[in-house]
Amino acid sequence: MKYYFMSLMLFVFGLHHAQNCNLTLLGEVKDFHDGTPITAANIYIKQLDKYIISDFDGKFKIEDLCKGEITLVISHIGCETKTTTINMSGDAYKTIVLEHHIEELNEVAVKGSTYRNTTKTAQETVLKTSTIEQYSRLSLGDALKEVSGVSSINTGNNIVKPMINGLHSSRLLILNNNVRLQDQEWGVEHAPNIDINSANQISVIKGAGALAYGGDAIGGVVVIKPGRIIRKDSLYGKTILGGQTNGRGYNLTSSLHKSYKSGWYANVQGSLKQNGDFEAPDYNLTNTGLQSQSFSVQTGKHTFESGFELFYSYINNEIAILSSSHIGNVNDLINAINSREPAIIRDFSYNIDNPKQEVTHHLVKGKYFKRFKNFGKVNLQYDYQNNQRLEFDIRRGELNNEAALDLTLQTHTLLADVNLDANLNHKFNFGVLARYQDNHAPNTGVRRLIPNYEKYDFGVYLTSEWRLNDKLLIDGGLRYDFNRVDALKFYRISRWIERGYDEDFADIVVPPEDGEDFGSDLLANPVFDFHNISASIGSRYDLNSNSYILANFSLSSRPPNPAELFSDGLHHSAARIELGDLRLNPEIAHRISTTYGYENTNFNLSVDLFYNAINDYMYLRPTGVLQSNRGAFPVWEYEQTNAKLFGTDVTVSYDFADRFNWRNKTSLIKGYDANDQPLIDMPSFNTTNSIRYSNNNWYNFSASIQSEWVFEQNEFPDFNFVLENPSTGEEVLLDISTPPPGYHLIHFQSEATFALSNTTHLNVALGINNLFDTSYRNYLNRLRYFANDLGRNLTLQLKLNY
Amino acid sequence: MNTNKTNFKTMKINYINSNFMKTSKFLLSAILCLTVLVSCSDDDDTPSQPNEEEVITNVTLTFTNDADATDIVVLLSVDADGEDGPLAPVQTITGNFTAGATYTATVNLFNAIENEDITVEVTDEEPDEHFFVYAINGLDITLTRSANDVVRTDGNKLGFETTWVANTASTGSLTIQLFHESESVDDSNEFGIQSGGSADVDITFTGVDIQ
Repeated sequence: MKYYFMSLMLFVFGLHHAQNCNLTLLGEVKDFHDGTPITAANIYIKQLDKYIISDFDGKFKIEDLCKGEITLVISHIGCETKTTTINMSGDAYKTIVLEHHIEELNEVAVKGSTYRNTTKTAQETVLKTSTIEQYSRLSLGDALKEVSGVSSINTGNNIVKPMINGLHSSRLLILNNNVRLQDQEWGVEHAPNIDINSANQISVIKGAGALAYGGDAIGGVVVIKPGRIIRKDSLYGKTILGGQTNGRGYNLTSSLHKSYKSGWYANVQGSLKQNGDFEAPDYNLTNTGLQSQSFSVQTGKHTFESGFELFYSYINNEIAILSSSHIGNVNDLINAINSREPAIIRDFSYNIDNPKQEVTHHLVKGKYFKRFKNFGKVNLQYDYQNNQRLEFDIRRGELNNEAALDLTLQTHTLLADVNLDANLNHKFNFGVLARYQDNHAPNTGVRRLIPNYEKYDFGVYLTSEWRLNDKLLIDGGLRYDFNRVDALKFYRISRWIERGYDEDFADIVVPPEDGEDFGSDLLANPVFDFHNISASIGSRYDLNSNSYILANFSLSSRPPNPAELFSDGLHHSAARIELGDLRLNPEIAHRISTTYGYENTNFNLSVDLFYNAINDYMYLRPTGVLQSNRGAFPVWEYEQTNAKLFGTDVTVSYDFADRFNWRNKTSLIKGYDANDQPLIDMPSFNTTNSIRYSNNNWYNFSASIQSEWVFEQNEFPDFNFVLENPSTGEEVLLDISTPPPGYHLIHFQSEATFALSNTTHLNVALGINNLFDTSYRNYLNRLRYFANDLGRNLTLQLKLNY
Repeated sequence: MNTNKTNFKTMKINYINSNFMKTSKFLLSAILCLTVLVSCSDDDDTPSQPNEEEVITNVTLTFTNDADATDIVVLLSVDADGEDGPLAPVQTITGNFTAGATYTATVNLFNAIENEDITVEVTDEEPDEHFFVYAINGLDITLTRSANDVVRTDGNKLGFETTWVANTASTGSLTIQLFHESESVDDSNEFGIQSGGSADVDITFTGVDIQ
């Protein structure tokens, strides 16, 4: 109704031009990238010498046109002016897309501006630059917790793995500049190798709706995007310098962006971070330091019609792991749990001693795209990743200087993707992916946790989007993936027989060549092929201009990862033996979700609901205790069950008074196995409230106080053991299951921005985390058995935009 | 990788002319590119067999009667496939203690998988990072760390060589533990006390007899 009314208003001017012409052109001006309507675009009709303006929904209507050519010149602030010629032979509908630059600038400089979703109907939340910058000193996993329903599974405080609706590791895909991160992501102690500072925008997509990225995203997808390319002559940069009292750490990051009107551009970015031992309220957390260096460079040419990009990123992290968490056997673990305090407390130090991790990740990407008129856009991308992971343990003698785990994972990926968007009411996207991966594990004097393997992936996908009318949009997709794992692994013959592989897998044993003797080992060459189908269908229905409903169903399928197939050994910080299983099937998830969203100028609400049924869900379960000369170790084996997870995530933001805002994020999740036993490591109910005062007239000053309330997890599987102390005959309980009590933390954050010149701004941010120095332990921190979490932390951060 | 970059450039030249037909060629080249890529990859040779340098498969405690060199008690624990292999350690006790006699005991640590004696790594190379702790249950036996025992830099005796006085006839268990990287050790209790270390050896021999 509004649309017709506005069109009518606009065309009062054009009425006098009545000839013997009666054709009507309806039009719509949209952003080229995401199809958001462009309001108040200036449309010049050359033949009529008239100007009209697109309405609030980007639409316009030109009536009483004659047959023949009509030329429109469309311009908008921040957009490249576009001239288009339409041959009128009857009433017509035309969508005009503009390259919208100004919003890209907004993303960098202005808070609360429009940002770009990656999906249309999935449960997606976008973290903007301003939010990401608050986490400059921290990691990706920390920043993602801004999103309701996202938590993390930690090993200490420097290894933070994101968890979406209770799922993590191989069940999440992480894309860095459109490259799927391949960095031994199966491991809970393997944090994503991303420098948070290289991100300009991060999208969290819950569930497997974004099929173009992969069919195995049972938990979700995290899409990290660097800054968008601006086609104008400009040079700008940003430097952030921060310091914190806890861990006596600093962080420095700097980026510089140069672009030309011709479309050429170059971006460089680098970061340095270091901290020493952190402090819990009552003691030092000895050996918890970190050293991190990262660097990325991006160059290319980007025009509307075509473009290319070369991208390289490097990150090196050296992460110390709490000394007290290195334990010899299950008795040490019992002692550690019962003592309630770490056994090793030393004076503060920046030293990084064993146990520690050293991980280096290189990513090289080349991309080319070309847009074909009336067809769409073709993308071709090649990327190469090299991930080297070294894990050092406390070992005897010279071996102490050698990594106990040494893995080099190399991945080549080729991606061809075609976007058919000539008809904006019915878009298609299809693509082909081919990937080759090689894992190399040299001899380290310890049995390999993950064997040498080669992996081949091939995927095809088709996604489509239909805009049925102004209110309803439907999208759907289908994907097929083929995976082949070809491994070479030495098994202990005793283990091979114990697993029953001698009966089921006798044909994969590689006999030793002449002159070779494998002794008590045998060499196996397992080759597994997996065929996976995934699909999704979703819809978005706009109830009115303020509220909408999303509904989505997805089917996703994840083949077992190398750890689930091949794990075979002692896990030191957990004092347990983890055993994979060659017989595992892919797990298949069916997820349905719905979201209600309401947005107006001072009130925003988003409520997500989901139900995820995962058949053949792979998980580790304790099955017994193994005795050795080193003492007893619980044995955890990968098993499969039909799991179900469901829950709700709520985000509310309300400007309840002038300059005051209240924000709440709350999430509740439940997970059960086929016997209705709770799943392990599920986040407990948690709710975060913050009240923020902001005054734009006073140096953009803002101050906020945040309450983070995490409840005790009262549903957990009982994986406790009763062990007999052999020397005393006493029975002792190994309580590894009971979650720690709930906790409530208060944080404070304030900032102000000062203009040093027209183009230079200095932002000063002061924060206090855990204001009351509360002692607590987090159920989802793997080191919770050994020590309390971090105490009070004062942070100061200076950001200079120039 | 170089190969791929070259292909990449060629492709760009091919597609300067925008027309639909080229799209299929585009995809074709993509697949071609992969073929090159896979064939380029170095086929992995057979990995080397893991050498398990840290495993202690055989732990032997040998007690010799100070007054009678033929009166020997041997406690042996053999864990043939190491700490993470499924086989449980097999413990054998050879001989009985004689009530009233004094025995000197030494420890031997051996890796049968790599055929390597590990004892010297503990006693000679890294005594400061190790400490033996003993425990008894039900046995009437007295333990002291020998005068000839290895002494750590901090003055504590390692517990490698020990003196045992078998008092009265009894049956019970004897536990030997070897700790690595202890935060503190104390030999003022002759059995030994430590904190913060991780266990390299933790074995309990049951059915030890004093007759």
